[in-house]
Amino acid sequence: MKSTFYAGVAAAALTAGMAQAQELVFTPGEGDFNWDSYNSFADANDYSGQQVTVFGPWLGPDQELVESVLAYFNAATGADVRYTGSDSFEQQIVVDAEAGSAPNVAVFPQPGLAADMASRGFLTPLGEDTGEWVAENYAAGQSWVDLGTYAGPDGNDDLYGFFYKVDVKSLVWYVPENFEDFGYEIPQSMEELKALTDQMVADGETPWCIGLGSGGATGWPATDWVEDLMLRTQEPAVYDAWVANEMPFDDPAVVAAIEEFGYFALNDDYVAGGSDAVASTDFRDSPKGLFSAPPQCMMHRQASFIPAFFPEGTEVGVDVDFFYFPAYEEKDLGSPVLGAGTLWAITNDSPVAHGLIDFLQTPIAHELWMAQQGFLTPHSGVNTELYANAALRGMGEILLGATTFRFDGSDLMPGGVGAGSFWTGMVDYASGAKSAEEVASEIQSSWDALK
Amino acid sequence: MDNIAGKKSSLTWAVHISVALLVLLWLLPTIGLFVSSFRTADQISSTGWWKALFPTEQTLTLRTKTAEAQTQENGVYVIEGNIYEDDPAGEGKGEADITSWGISSRDVSAFAPGDTAELRGGGTLTLEASGAYRMESVEEFSGSRGQRVFVTAEVPPEFTLENYETVLLSGNATDSMAKAFFNTLTVTIPATIIPILIAAFAAYALAWMDFPGRALLIAFVVALLVVPLQLALIPLLKLHLGIGIGKGYLGVWLAHTGFGMPLAVYLLRNYMVGLPRDIIENARVDGATEFQIFVRIILPLSFPALASFAIFQFLWTWNDLLVAIVFLIDATGDTTVMTRQIVELLGTRGGNWEILATAAFVSIAVPLLVFFAMQKYLVRGLLAGSVK
Repeated sequence: MKSTFYAGVAAAALTAGMAQAQELVFTPGEGDFNWDSYNSFADANDYSGQQVTVFGPWLGPDQELVESVLAYFNAATGADVRYTGSDSFEQQIVVDAEAGSAPNVAVFPQPGLAADMASRGFLTPLGEDTGEWVAENYAAGQSWVDLGTYAGPDGNDDLYGFFYKVDVKSLVWYVPENFEDFGYEIPQSMEELKALTDQMVADGETPWCIGLGSGGATGWPATDWVEDLMLRTQEPAVYDAWVANEMPFDDPAVVAAIEEFGYFALNDDYVAGGSDAVASTDFRDSPKGLFSAPPQCMMHRQASFIPAFFPEGTEVGVDVDFFYFPAYEEKDLGSPVLGAGTLWAITNDSPVAHGLIDFLQTPIAHELWMAQQGFLTPHSGVNTELYANAALRGMGEILLGATTFRFDGSDLMPGGVGAGSFWTGMVDYASGAKSAEEVASEIQSSWDALK
Repeated sequence: MDNIAGKKSSLTWAVHISVALLVLLWLLPTIGLFVSSFRTADQISSTGWWKALFPTEQTLTLRTKTAEAQTQENGVYVIEGNIYEDDPAGEGKGEADITSWGISSRDVSAFAPGDTAELRGGGTLTLEASGAYRMESVEEFSGSRGQRVFVTAEVPPEFTLENYETVLLSGNATDSMAKAFFNTLTVTIPATIIPILIAAFAAYALAWMDFPGRALLIAFVVALLVVPLQLALIPLLKLHLGIGIGKGYLGVWLAHTGFGMPLAVYLLRNYMVGLPRDIIENARVDGATEFQIFVRIILPLSFPALASFAIFQFLWTWNDLLVAIVFLIDATGDTTVMTRQIVELLGTRGGNWEILATAAFVSIAVPLLVFFAMQKYLVRGLLAGSVK
């Protein structure tokens, strides 16, 4: 009885492992894709029979999307590409790298972690060709090179990370029909946005939905607010000094930015559920207030990924739309954009891993994903007509039209600050327990402790 | 008079009530999870599960047909239909009579059924209680989407099997769930049997065999109970990779065995030490070897303890994600387990409560089965031990 059972288990395990080969979403040669780049890559590279493992943070629908792009690498070169995702990527990649069982390629959601791993010798430099290619082909190319360049174990700077898939964070989501009902116009400057906020309160509506809850990462949406407001109140150089801690966290400039966030979040009239609800509302639930009837709020500031949490059947561009989180007119700081992105790094060197990074440099690798959903790219050589919808194209334009592009600062800070005291500090501030100065000086002392 | 032996205490009812309350308290989260597993994500985020059981007054946002559906009647452009049928969000709510409705978010219940509203883009909209509507305009309707209408109605309770379909049947979920199910069994069964085998021998030795340092050894095993397993993850994985086991089933069996061993030895030793000394001494006098005593006498008598530890270990390995991720699941992703499969279903940023609730009930099925099956043996084993 038992032996037949084990045989059954073994047979099931064997057959289950066989279903692999994936279908290609777009037939090669059809549509406005850059198939030339695909064909020339396929002709130049052959990795038949070799396996490359990719480990990243994407799960569920995102996993299907990344697998659909990797399927083309398989079709072009014959390499066996395996993607696995994890919701605890940050911990798991460290465990695997420490123990020596790392995947070939890792997809980092935070440059801070990649820099840390590079300094401990777990990453393989991508080579100068890649750096030159990024500088030439990405909009604001050098800044992408800088974000992927870290000091290795020997102390020399090398390019370790290649950015592929970018998110724009400076977006405000709203329901156009609600704006029409009240006759509101889309604000073009921060002054107008604040006036609009007051106007909504005067009309008896609640302007904002803000939610900071995110399980163990509670507080991160507030760090995005503060970073966005830093870029709108200070020069980019000040932002860079802040992120690098060359300027202390409790500098008046940072305290002012935190208080700017407080202007919106600490006013009971401005936030759905009152300011007490800000820290306790889950960030995935908070945009739903836009769609309730009657609406609980009129605007929601969040990154380009948030439509995944809108109610089922919501169509971006029709049911809901977004505008650029505007800058102050009087400050003359241009139109800064805050963003984030995932960077691909080689954690277990092999020729096929380098081949995969080369594949990501072809326009087709970008076009295949942008034609599906949720993908923005700074690659200037792609056909932007291929963006799956007008909303994505609009975000792409915000990205390309930025006079200043800055990466999410909390992702660049050391983990103990950017994924620790900054989060908890913002929760303390948003719940009204502490003042901006107190919070800022606490974060600075936690940063000092890490040095 | 109340104290007469044999008479029921007058407080029996209090005991009964408090037992019932305690059971209800324990069951409440499970019931909530069970109800939630039959609701959609939007329902979960808008109302609590306790409200799902009764009809509630809801304001729905629905849309009429698009401008494409317009016809011309006597020079007037007309769009006709039923608001419940034209919008997928209104599906299944058709029986609910509309109590009030509106077209502006300023006032979502501005009109009563049968009223006629002026549309912002020109024209009128009339909505009946049944959801039937008629839009009229002298000018052509335009726009890619239909008119938005807020409808307030008493909506009957509504449940869906969609979540179970997503977890078990949709797309390649069946294949991957089945694969994960068998992988989990492949992990769990040996990871339950191996520690029991080893721990039973150890427990017998620690309980009934005299050797120097026995007490210290027991103290050491007990002390190991407090060592968190997270401490051993990286060194142990390094060891596995170093000696060539790598990530795989053998590695995860060894890890589960090691992590489960202190508790197993401690539990079994404590039970065995309580067995009557006379039986064992009698056997010794009759010339039984230690091995015969262990197999013929100790093991059958310790069955309840073995069974209860088996249940512990089975549940712990079945629900385990951490050890599986570290020691089993390699970058090819072929050896995924159920817990891991469920995490994947939750998506990159998590928060899909409906999937979480459903997955909980899918994965609970086998442990429940095992528990009820083992319970019979548990009771039999306990009785065999007591009626001597």
